[in-house]
Amino acid sequence: MDGLLEEFGRGDAQARAESWRYSRHALRALEQQAFAAADGNAALPDALIERFDWPQTRGHRLVFVNGVLHAALSDASTSGAIVESDADGARTIRFRGKGVLHLVFVNAASTAPSRWNARLDIRVESGTAYLAEQHVGTEGAGVLGALASAIAIDAGAALKMVTLGDLPTSASLVRCNRIALADGSGVDATHALCGGRFQRFDIDAELAGKKARFDSRGVFALRGREHVDVHLNVRHAARDTTSDVLWRGVADGRARGILHGAITVAPGADGADARLETKNLLLSPHAEIDAQPVLEIHADEVKASHGATVGQLDERALFYLRSRGVPLAAARNLLIAGFCRTAFTHIEATDLRGPFEALLDAHLPQQAGSSE
Amino acid sequence: MALLKIDNLHVRVAGKEILKGLSLEVKAGEVHAIMGPNGAGKSTLGYVLAGREGYEVTQGRIEYDGKNLLELEPEARAAAGMFLAFQYPVEIPGVNNTYFLKAALNAQRKARGEAELDSMQFLKRVREKLAVLHLKEDLLNRAVNAGFSGGEKKRNEIFQMALLEPKLAILDETDSGLDIDALKMVADGVNAMRAPDRAFVVITHYQRLLDYIVPDFVHVLADGRIVESGDASLALKLEEHGYAWIAQRKLAGAA
Repeated sequence: MDGLLEEFGRGDAQARAESWRYSRHALRALEQQAFAAADGNAALPDALIERFDWPQTRGHRLVFVNGVLHAALSDASTSGAIVESDADGARTIRFRGKGVLHLVFVNAASTAPSRWNARLDIRVESGTAYLAEQHVGTEGAGVLGALASAIAIDAGAALKMVTLGDLPTSASLVRCNRIALADGSGVDATHALCGGRFQRFDIDAELAGKKARFDSRGVFALRGREHVDVHLNVRHAARDTTSDVLWRGVADGRARGILHGAITVAPGADGADARLETKNLLLSPHAEIDAQPVLEIHADEVKASHGATVGQLDERALFYLRSRGVPLAAARNLLIAGFCRTAFTHIEATDLRGPFEALLDAHLPQQAGSSE
Repeated sequence: MALLKIDNLHVRVAGKEILKGLSLEVKAGEVHAIMGPNGAGKSTLGYVLAGREGYEVTQGRIEYDGKNLLELEPEARAAAGMFLAFQYPVEIPGVNNTYFLKAALNAQRKARGEAELDSMQFLKRVREKLAVLHLKEDLLNRAVNAGFSGGEKKRNEIFQMALLEPKLAILDETDSGLDIDALKMVADGVNAMRAPDRAFVVITHYQRLLDYIVPDFVHVLADGRIVESGDASLALKLEEHGYAWIAQRKLAGAA
C-alpha cells in the first residue's frame, strides 16, 4: 500500500501524510490499478496534434509522448534553448539570452492503464526565457504521468512561464516544479489546470538570492468528479525578496479543489515582501474547495499578507448584468470567466492568452450550478 | 396610456415592510422626480422595478408598457426597455466593459427580434455616446467599474443608458457623490436623451440635480408612499423647508 505516496510524497511519513491529506483517496484509487509502462511511440491522432501545433511556436517546440521525446514532432532549432540528455534519461534545457520554448507533454492512452515518468532540468543562465508547458492527452484506459522539473534561475536572469494542464477525463498527472532563484532573478508563472481524473501540482520556490522575485498566478476550473490539488511552498531565504501569489479556483458538480499556499520567511530574510491571495467559487452544493494559506515568519521588517476565500457567485453582480439585459445563464458564465481571467493578467505574450481563454471557455460549466 | 402604472404597491425586504401602498403613473415623454428622506424606500422602488431578488411584493401591481412587470425576469425587463442606473454600480473584475456592453445590447436586440450589431456597428455607436459624456475610450478596455472613481462609475451608468436607449430610465441617486462638473455631464447625458417616447424617473435626495434635469413632476416619498405631488416648484419648497415640512403639513391636514 501507499507505494504512490512513497513515490510522489516528500519528507518524512508525517509530512507526506499531511501534504496528501485531501488527495489520499484519489491516490489510493490509482494504487488499485495495475499500470503498464506507457508507450513512447504511440501514434497521435491529427486532431490532437492540432491542439499543440501553434503557429507561433514552430521551431520552438519539444514534444514528449508519454514522457519520451518525440523526435519527428520536435523542432526547437530557433528556440534559443540548449537541450541535452543526461545519462539517466533526464533532459537538461539551458537558456542564455532570450529563448522561447514550447514544451508539450502528451498523455497517449492505450487499451490498458499505463504510466510514465519524466524529469527536466531547466536553467536560465542569463536574459529572459519564455516557456510554455502544455499537457494534453487522448481518452482511453487512463494514463498516470509524473513530471518533475528542477528550475534554476541564475543571478539577474528571468523566466516567464505559462503551463496548461488540459487533460482528458481518464488521465492523471503529478507535477512538481522545484524552483531556485539566485540574486536579482525572477520567475513569473501562470498556470491553468482543467480536466483529468486527478492533477497534483507541487510548486516549491526557494528565494535564495537577495532581491529575487517570484510571481505565481493560477486557475483551476473543475467539474464532474475532477480533482485538482495544488501545493505552493514559497520560502524567502534572502534579504529583500518578493513573492506574489494569486490563484483562482472554480468547482462545479462533485469536483474537488485544493489550494495549499505556504509562505515561509526564514531567519535573516529581512525586508521580505510576501503576498498570497486565493479566491474560490463553489458552483454546486456537492463541490468542495479547500483553501489553506499558511504563513510562517522568522525575520524582521517583513511585509506579509494572505487571504483565502471560498464563496458563491456575487448576487449583486449577477443582478447588475441581468438588469442590462444579459440572460441569467450567460451572466453567470460571464462572471465565472471574468473571475478566472483576473489570474491571467501576467501573461505578457498576448498570443498566449488565446490558448488560456480557449481552455477556460471549453471547461467552464455551460449551465453553471445545474450539473451534477 | 401610461408607460408605467404602479398601483398600491407594498414591498417587504428581509421581513420588513418598506413600501406601503405606493402609487405612481408615468407617461412616455415625462420626467418624474422622486424625492424623500433617507429610509423612505426610494432605492427599494428602483430595485423592485428592475426585478432584484429578495424584494417581496405583498400587495399591488405594476403595469409596464401594457405588461404585468412583476412576471418578467430582470433581463426581460431590460429587453422591454427598462433601465436602472444604480446608486452603487457594481465592480466586476475580469469582465471587459466592451464585451459586457455588446453582450447586453445584443441580448436585448435578440429578445426584441432585432438584428444583432456587429463589432463595427457597435463601436461606432459606443464612440458617439462616449463623446456626449466626456468619457475616455480607454474605459472600454477596462473591467466593468473596476477601479473607477465614484464619478466615473456614475457617468458609466449614464453612458450605458445612452447606449441601451431604454424607454423608461430610473436614476437612483445618480447625483450622490458627484462634483458639479460631473453632475453637469450626467445631466447633459440625460437631457440629450429626453424624447417623446422615453420617460425618466429621477430618484434623488437633493434638489441640486433638478436644477439641471428639470422634471415635469415632483413626488415626495416618505415612509413607503407618495405623500405629496406637484410640479418642479415642489422641489424648491422642499429644499427651503426640509422634509419635516411635509410631515407637519400631513399632520395638519389629518387634524
